[in-house]
Amino acid sequence: MKGKNISYTEAYAELQLLVSELEKGETTVDELSEKVKRAAELIRLCKSKLTATELEVNNILLELGDQV
Amino acid sequence: MPEIVDNKQIFTLREVAESIRRTLAQRYTSLFWVKAEMNKLNHYGHSGHCYPDLVQKEAGKVVAQMRAIIWAADFKRIESALQRVTGETLREGSGLLLQVAIQFDPNHGLSLLIKDIDPVFSLGELEKEKNESIQRLMSQGVFHLNKQQPMPLLPKRLAVISVESSKGYADFMLLLGSSKKGYNIEHMLFPSLLQGEKAARQIENQLLRIKKVAHHFDAVAIIRGGGGEIGLAAFNDYQLAHTVCAFPIPVITGIGHATNLTVTEMVAHTNAITPSELAGIILARFDAFSQSLEEAGSALANAAKLLSVNKEYIKYQQLKLQSIATFQFQASQKLLLGEAGKLSQAAFAGLQHATRKLGETTLQQRFLVHEQLKKEKIKLDGFLLLMQRKPLTAVAENTSRLESLERMVGMLNPEKVLKRGYSISYHDGKVLFGTEQLSEGAVVSTKLGRGSFMSKVIKKENEN
Repeated sequence: MKGKNISYTEAYAELQLLVSELEKGETTVDELSEKVKRAAELIRLCKSKLTATELEVNNILLELGDQV
Repeated sequence: MPEIVDNKQIFTLREVAESIRRTLAQRYTSLFWVKAEMNKLNHYGHSGHCYPDLVQKEAGKVVAQMRAIIWAADFKRIESALQRVTGETLREGSGLLLQVAIQFDPNHGLSLLIKDIDPVFSLGELEKEKNESIQRLMSQGVFHLNKQQPMPLLPKRLAVISVESSKGYADFMLLLGSSKKGYNIEHMLFPSLLQGEKAARQIENQLLRIKKVAHHFDAVAIIRGGGGEIGLAAFNDYQLAHTVCAFPIPVITGIGHATNLTVTEMVAHTNAITPSELAGIILARFDAFSQSLEEAGSALANAAKLLSVNKEYIKYQQLKLQSIATFQFQASQKLLLGEAGKLSQAAFAGLQHATRKLGETTLQQRFLVHEQLKKEKIKLDGFLLLMQRKPLTAVAENTSRLESLERMVGMLNPEKVLKRGYSISYHDGKVLFGTEQLSEGAVVSTKLGRGSFMSKVIKKENEN
């Protein structure tokens, strides 16, 4: 499994895969709790991405300043 | 009046200028239409008058050039008519159909006095320019390029090209920040004019600045609004549209108008009619993401529920199994006890019956056996009598025969013969029948009727 630095696009794709597996009922009871745990973790990760701050304004200004 | 000096008629400059003015005024009495390109507008703000440079180009070269004048009152009228029809103001570099009068001023020389501009012709020219831009982008194969840029699942970091004070920008920002879910859609403003002549170059310059830091952004949004339908020709500019096409991240537009799409909007990754609609499109992506997260959450809850339902079910089955087993056991036990009771009863009854029967049989048997034995005894007794009589005769016969045989045997016994004076001689343990085995000096033992002796051969006489 991937680490914490997974992008939300990857996280989202993995989550969709997991959910479709869960919905199809192809998951055995053995795997179920493991998968549910992973999916819950991915949801938390994706949700935090919705509200996280990513724009590095200072860097942008610096880079623009260097070149203008 | 000219003066004559040395037979020469000499005019003053003013007289020449006046003459030209008069001549031209006589020759060009009415207004006429002329097709020309506006090279420079030269609008003077304080007076409101314009002194445009008009040119005609052929193959990129200026083949005619003339100054022109638009008086402030005419300029106002002309501009409003142009805007009404084309949505554009007078732009440098555009082809125009002008209604002019020729005017000659002694101080300022020749110029074309522009009284009117045909807005329909301008419209056609604009359309032509737009089509040319499209054709060029198509033929270069870049027209669809920006549409192929992948839009991140969540366009969170936007570079916004807009006017900070504009209504469109305010609407856009308000909507992006309005979601109750608290999405953090970040933006950085790159200010630029968005209409009129300078807009195309300014927007392009800001795009080029953003390009340098494009890795910090998910998309560029060009936002305009509240400016009515005026000055959109900038977005048909070939150079600007080309920059958008080749831009390394998606360019999205909300330019705010109701007429035909501009070229920049056509080549943009995503276009919305208004800034608000564009904000809506972005939010919809966030909502869709958030929604599918929620759905995933509930799918997860269902899966978890399934798990616990499974557990419950198993527990239930276990209980059920237990109760069934207990019931079955008890039932079997009861049945078994019942059967056992019946069995023992039956066995007891059977035993009694058998015993009774056996008792009867024994009596009967005893009687029969007794009878039989009686019969057998009688038979045996008879047989015994028979047996007692018969052997007596056989024994007498055999005894006399045995006695004669005994006599014969007694006669044959050597002991008896020896008693009658015969003897037996042995040599080397063997009976001697002749003298053949004997030599002189041989020891011979001789058995007599009574006793025996040893002797040595002195002389031997053979039988003839």
